[in-house]
Amino acid sequence: MEQAALVNAIGSGRVSHDPAELESYSSDVSFANRVRPASLVKPRTTDEVHRILKFANETKTPLVPVSSGAPHFRGDTVPSVGGALIVDMSGMKKILMVDRDRRVAMCEPGVTFGELIPAAQKAGLRLNMPLLPRASKSVIGSILEREPVVMPKYQWDISDPLACAEIIFGTGDEFRTGQAAGPGTVAEQRAVGGVQKAPYGPGTASLHRLIQGAQGTLGIVTWVSMRCEILPSLEEPFVVGSCDLDQLLELTHWLIRQRMVNECFILNNANLATIFANPAAADYRSLKAALPTWTLFYTVAGGEYFPEERVGSQIKDITEIAQRLGIEAVRTVGGISANEIMKTVQQPCANPYWKLRPRGASQDIFFMTIREKLEGQIAGMAAQADRSGYAAADVGVYIQPAVQGTSFHCEFNLFYDPGNAKERNRVRELTSSATKSLLAGGAFFSRPYGDDARMILNRDAASVEVLHTFKKIFDPNNVMNPGKVCF
Amino acid sequence: MTLSKEVYAEFEDVVGPEFICNDPAIMPSYYATEFAAVILPENTAQVQAIVKLCNKHKVSFRPVCTGWTGKFQAGVVLLDLRRMNRIIEINEKNMYAVVEPYVITAQLQAELMKRGLHLNVKGAGTNCSAMLRGHGHLDQSTGGDDRNHLAIEWVTPAGNIVRSGSLGSSDEWFCGDGPGPSLRSILTSATPPGVTPGVFTRAAMKIYHWPGPTKFPIVGNSPNYALSEIPANFMTRYYSFPTMEKMWQAELKIGESEISFELMGFNVAMVAANITTSNEEEEAAFKRLSKEVQGPGFLIILAGNSAADFEYKKRVLNHIVNAAGGKSLASLEDPRTEGILMCQCIRISASIRETFRPGGAFSSIPVMGQRDLTIKWAIGAGKAKEPLIEKGLIVDDGGASFGWGVEQGHLGKTEIFCKFDPQNAVAKQAVQAWHDEQSARAFKERYFALLSPGQPEEIGKALSNYHVWWNKLQKELDPNRVSPEGGALV
Amino acid sequence: MGLEQYKGDMDMCCRCSTCKFVPMQQVSGFQYANVCPSISKYDFHSYSGGGRLNIGASMLKNGFNYTHKLLDIVYNCQMCGACGVSCNYAMDMEVMAPITEFRIKCVKDGKTHPALDKIIAGLRKNDSMVPVTGKRGDWAAGLNLKDATKEKVDVLYYVGCLTSYDKKLQKLARSTAKILQKAGVDFGIAGDAETSSGGAAYEMGYEQDALDQAKKTMALIKQTGVKTVVASGAEDYQAIKVLYDKFKLKGDLKVLHIAQYIPQLIKEGKLEPKKNLELAVTYHDPCHLGRLGEPWVHWEGKKVPGDRFVFDPPKVYRRGTHGIYQQPRDVLKSIPGVKLTEMPRNKEYAWCCGAGGGVCDSNPEFAQWTAKERIEEAESTGAEALVTACPKCEKTFSAAIEANGSRLKVYDIVELVEQAIE
Repeated sequence: MEQAALVNAIGSGRVSHDPAELESYSSDVSFANRVRPASLVKPRTTDEVHRILKFANETKTPLVPVSSGAPHFRGDTVPSVGGALIVDMSGMKKILMVDRDRRVAMCEPGVTFGELIPAAQKAGLRLNMPLLPRASKSVIGSILEREPVVMPKYQWDISDPLACAEIIFGTGDEFRTGQAAGPGTVAEQRAVGGVQKAPYGPGTASLHRLIQGAQGTLGIVTWVSMRCEILPSLEEPFVVGSCDLDQLLELTHWLIRQRMVNECFILNNANLATIFANPAAADYRSLKAALPTWTLFYTVAGGEYFPEERVGSQIKDITEIAQRLGIEAVRTVGGISANEIMKTVQQPCANPYWKLRPRGASQDIFFMTIREKLEGQIAGMAAQADRSGYAAADVGVYIQPAVQGTSFHCEFNLFYDPGNAKERNRVRELTSSATKSLLAGGAFFSRPYGDDARMILNRDAASVEVLHTFKKIFDPNNVMNPGKVCF
Repeated sequence: MTLSKEVYAEFEDVVGPEFICNDPAIMPSYYATEFAAVILPENTAQVQAIVKLCNKHKVSFRPVCTGWTGKFQAGVVLLDLRRMNRIIEINEKNMYAVVEPYVITAQLQAELMKRGLHLNVKGAGTNCSAMLRGHGHLDQSTGGDDRNHLAIEWVTPAGNIVRSGSLGSSDEWFCGDGPGPSLRSILTSATPPGVTPGVFTRAAMKIYHWPGPTKFPIVGNSPNYALSEIPANFMTRYYSFPTMEKMWQAELKIGESEISFELMGFNVAMVAANITTSNEEEEAAFKRLSKEVQGPGFLIILAGNSAADFEYKKRVLNHIVNAAGGKSLASLEDPRTEGILMCQCIRISASIRETFRPGGAFSSIPVMGQRDLTIKWAIGAGKAKEPLIEKGLIVDDGGASFGWGVEQGHLGKTEIFCKFDPQNAVAKQAVQAWHDEQSARAFKERYFALLSPGQPEEIGKALSNYHVWWNKLQKELDPNRVSPEGGALV
Repeated sequence: MGLEQYKGDMDMCCRCSTCKFVPMQQVSGFQYANVCPSISKYDFHSYSGGGRLNIGASMLKNGFNYTHKLLDIVYNCQMCGACGVSCNYAMDMEVMAPITEFRIKCVKDGKTHPALDKIIAGLRKNDSMVPVTGKRGDWAAGLNLKDATKEKVDVLYYVGCLTSYDKKLQKLARSTAKILQKAGVDFGIAGDAETSSGGAAYEMGYEQDALDQAKKTMALIKQTGVKTVVASGAEDYQAIKVLYDKFKLKGDLKVLHIAQYIPQLIKEGKLEPKKNLELAVTYHDPCHLGRLGEPWVHWEGKKVPGDRFVFDPPKVYRRGTHGIYQQPRDVLKSIPGVKLTEMPRNKEYAWCCGAGGGVCDSNPEFAQWTAKERIEEAESTGAEALVTACPKCEKTFSAAIEANGSRLKVYDIVELVEQAIE
């Protein structure tokens, strides 16, 4: 790549060829092969993104879009090919809109949860967040990756909370999805009272769904609008501990089915201890020992009207269901208060990021599944871990009910010491073998990353063929993050 | 275009002679089109074989479910999906149901209610397919548009079988998205102006909690059905407000407080249509109800999961309605009328009495998206109806529009009708002019664009050039151009 | 006027497909949602009520193109009226009338079905819609019944062709007569002089033959001087009560079906079903007693010009609301030990037995297919017996039960009443 041409195209202030800086984009916490990019650009405006795409198409330069700050975990921001230009969007940090009545916010890719949460709160709104994103995580990055969210009640569609997006496709064409498409510009829409909220259309296609899960292979998103929820005026958190996961899943089913709870997820003792152990005091082991195998966490909330009455009636109804199942919702588990959990999960993760705390690195295996298969998949993973020499009891498990109870996101966190080659290899091999057997056991890897993506996608050749059609149309020169997903 | 004997025989080999017909006698029953043939496939394999033959012989095809509406070119092979009418699965624990295209909503709904569950009912009515994209009375608590689909089995225009999401990867229906980018981006089913080319042969739909009885206690003989009692923890009311602004404020707060099972921004003309059994009765009821209301309003159904939940919802509703100066329509509080309306709205989705009965036809401008924005536009569109009402060209509904919040008010839907006699050429022309003017105004003033096949280039251009991308997609997916667009396939 | 008078109605069809199903509120699950045997069997939209109206509207406009397929559509319909009920839940339009007129037009144009031609030839020759063996009044031998053509009686029991001539069904006439005797009703029969009611001929499309029969039958009734006719066949009941009224021949004649008359007799204390029958039953509403049996409404008027499909004077539609539904159920409930369980499709949205509209003659296989569906539905209730109030239903069901090896028993309501009052 001609450095001068790049500078000429985009402007010197935005481009870097600093070896140390480039090195930081050449790998991440995952097992992705180390590939050093050729250049780095940090656009500040949509116009600059346009110029980057134009340059890339003219010079056939591979682009790797990145929104979040390090550490990255899934290999999707590490170039798969040489000569790549990293497009680091973290400098686009504007919060473009927060609208209370329409329950919507809009921001640029560089905005993190830590930045958007207070802005939303000021307007009386909240975000439906992933579980404890790292402090550097881009809100848009999370939404585009279809990360699971902690309030399944508000996840009507798996694409939520994404509302609309502006994207510069691989072709260099700008497109706005859903209501934002038009008629007219965003400013013209605003002038008549329109916000960019409805996700579907225009016409038959709903291309926001195409952009999600694409890992930057189809274009670069310059802003996203997202649905927000009303900030509760009263919240009561609860925990239910059990060694019987099925029992907790049954309770979870009814809580979500009747839309009685906001935050709602299940963690195993390894993950709960990882999140709440004091890193300095090294009390992880004792905390883990004090915790039940599984902990369901949920909150009951009231809004503007008679919140006490609302919360009271919900608690009463939940108690009846719990009693029917022979379990009890309480306020603390293993010394961790439900309130502490609530406060923690309503913010991004404090540094250091929880997944790095135990051993310095974590490899995550995550997939979508259903109730009938979940427990078998967890047991299978445990057996596989034990066989590989990784203590099953140390595998972190996060179960997130999704899309109003139609599925679960299940995530295994394999903590390891990245400096220890043996440990690293063991986790790498375990990841690969576990992914294979989970696939065989019906796990649906809806967001395939890294080495295993090809294996996962190969199971569905017909869908892949259609995806290639999309790719041909939206990124005919294959400049967008080549080597990712199935492209 | 007619099929040669040889080509016809090839199609016949797929379905058998009983299930293909090109006799001119059957054509008028299927729209005013001379189809090349009407074919009734029984399963996905037959659909695929038919589509492949269409590609081989460059014959266009169009599928229909119950086939309420549709516009078709002559010479098309019509796939009437009537024989594909199976409920494949109802998964209670994971809250989805899998159906073939000709399972009507009423069937699936009845099965679900037995299990304490229900589903979104499209405005077209429970007489239409359960697997369509669309909007309806229950959107407030059951989502809408393309957001209820999970995995979909799709025979592409080229004749490939694509099974989206978890179906393609792990043979399960619970998720329609991935691996990677979601095919649901184009698998959006039937809605004007276009439809996804190809044929949807099965789809998983999200289902929802139903706190009501396993079956409504209906008494009486058609059309005088009523409920013997109002189910426990259910209530139906109609509130009118001094102004549209006040109504919107109440609607907004109801959405935010998540208390509504159904919120239908009916005008009283539609209430009158639903509670009456004939046009004459309807006209009288409309006049009577118009005098009772103070302004625009909505119908709301509360459904409590428990007595305490119900009491809470009622209390909040009263608070919100009072704050907005709302007034309950007293005559609808009569339990008999309340029950009729409740059952009508949940089990039928009201459609036919309120659309076709008066004049035999209606013209509509439906808008999905942002409720408050589209209400603003609809006020003008309603005013523009008034001269037509005065001239007796359209049915008098007070010039009103209707609509509702979707997903507890996150999204919305607004629609406005002109009901008229299609045999009256003057009325037809006046309604068309109203339709054209009001959709042009919506576009010009940047409220929304009503899309239609063959629309002017400037509309696509003003909408991010979406049409360019869609045309490219169609060309790629349908290389022989055998799967034309046009019309809804309810 | 014929079909032309229904042009506006046919144009009103909005193709919503409700005519294919029971009224939506009554859909009780995946099964038994269909209401129209014809579309259920033949699947092409043309076989539905709406499809038939669409064809009618189109052919009125563009000319009649009689193809083999068109006649297949026309004659494979039981004329059961279920489509009309479902449509008229929401819509103000005539459904069965234009479908009937279309058939009448076919017959007038000579586009008949050979099997039906044969039946009508029999009617013209023998005054019977069924093959004639012996004499019409043979069934009454030994019952010592009055001959209403010879002596004055209060009530004429109209027996009908099938019950009179069919050896297996003559028992229904005898049961009916015994019930009336037991109740002390002053009744008689017309015996060999009884004429075919012509109702079935009308539904087959032979309007003139039906009218001829109506005139003959009314002349006979007038000759007897009775003010009340009781029929045990639903088709005949409907013909005399409804069709003759449409033909403006009925006058103020009171027409009752026996299932309607029995509860009146019980109420008056003239009958008392005492015997415990210990039988779990389900009741099949014959189309002609139920939805098609509601009174004729005389109306003449014009469409009011303007936006709505309304008329001056207002038109009252026959929507199936006022058929005879409750009385047969009251009869069954009055019999000790009889436990009645409803089928999913009942009353105005009952599934047809399959025999109507001449289908039992023109396409017996279709009639049997339709009956089989009803038998299965009856079995789903757990009933031991299927009770009906129409000899044609009983005949069709009996054949289907035999062919399909069902254990279900079929009774006419008079058979149970007769047993209970013995």
